[in-house]
Amino acid sequence: MAAAAQETIEGTAEPAESAGLPQMNVETFPSQIFWLVVTFGLLFVVLSKMTLPRIAASLADRKQRIEGDLGAAEAARQGAADAQTAYKTALAQARGRANNLADENRKRVTGEIDKLKATADAQAQSAMATAEQRIAAERTKAKTHIRSSAAEAAADIVERLIGAKITSDEAVKAVDAAETKRG
Amino acid sequence: MASPMEQFEVHPIIPIEVGGLDISFTNASLWMVIVVAVTALFLTMGASSRRLVPTRMQSIAELSYVFIADMIRSAAGTEGLKFFPFIFTLFMFVLFANLIGLLPPIGFHPFTVTSHIAVTFSLAFFVFLMVIFVGLWRHGLGFFSLFAPKVPFVMLIILIPIEVVSFLSRPISLSVRLFANMLAGHTMLAVFGTFVVALASAGGALSFLSIAPLLAITAVSALEFLIAFLQAYVFAILTCIYLNDALHLHEHH
Repeated sequence: MAAAAQETIEGTAEPAESAGLPQMNVETFPSQIFWLVVTFGLLFVVLSKMTLPRIAASLADRKQRIEGDLGAAEAARQGAADAQTAYKTALAQARGRANNLADENRKRVTGEIDKLKATADAQAQSAMATAEQRIAAERTKAKTHIRSSAAEAAADIVERLIGAKITSDEAVKAVDAAETKRG
Repeated sequence: MASPMEQFEVHPIIPIEVGGLDISFTNASLWMVIVVAVTALFLTMGASSRRLVPTRMQSIAELSYVFIADMIRSAAGTEGLKFFPFIFTLFMFVLFANLIGLLPPIGFHPFTVTSHIAVTFSLAFFVFLMVIFVGLWRHGLGFFSLFAPKVPFVMLIILIPIEVVSFLSRPISLSVRLFANMLAGHTMLAVFGTFVVALASAGGALSFLSIAPLLAITAVSALEFLIAFLQAYVFAILTCIYLNDALHLHEHH
């Protein structure tokens, strides 16, 4: 049967060739179409079940990896920006606190200086007042001494001039009177 | 000297007959098996190394994947991606058949599977049927509004027959375009090759003249590589455009 089939094909191939294109030899069509369906079908199955899913997975992997890396890079950049912001905030806070401390210190020191100055002033004032009091007392004492001395001198003078003895009380009265008259 | 048409002849290798139908394993079948094996091996090898930075083979496989996916998306929209495995297989089958057919004869003559109308028409007719099924499944009888563009009623009397004829001629134009390109290219290569040999063996001054067809065959070979890729692309993108009709009727996306 096989030999017969071969003979049929070869038998028809010769006139077909002389008649025109081998492509127009209808005898070969069933075989061509049958084997096309078989081979094309096989290729379709292999590609769609095995090859294409693998390629798709490989492409998806790469896409995912690239997106992941880009995401990580973005996160790192965000982290760096955050750190910088935090650093700036901390720096500003520290600077503010330092300024506050300096202000407080300055105020406190100024206050203490003022207080000390006030105390010293008060002390000086009281010392001055005491001294003045003492001066005034000394003056009064001196004045009293001068009066008694003047009275003694006056009594002595009176005794020598007129020979009359006067008591010291009379002499003091006379001195006071003379002083009052002089003003 | 062999006829330039000899390269297209189909010879049985293992005669098979089923129910009176001759489905012998021929040289055409053998080259279909080679095309499919090479395609599957090439792409599967590329797909098996799943590196982050792709190897050369992996790069080719991945670029092909992205290339076809983008083509479908641009021609038939995202919905067209449902047909991605089929269109990818179609493109790769036609591309590898075209390219393998261009191998120079080394002891044996490579057979161009796509230079046979039986093959290209089968593929085109399958696409045609698929478009009709997808259209009917998506839009029911509304699919037939594809033949009636939005124009005044009187115009439809002329336009509907034109649309129907153009729709029906799709598988013919799709298959003949590929088949004729392959047939013409390979015939031309064979003819120029024959010239080179004939002139070179003529002797004398004619031997020097053989340089002219040699240059021509070199240029045509380069052109044929372009055509091999281009025709595979055209076949695939027209399939996408037809599918777009079935998916979206006349609306453009």
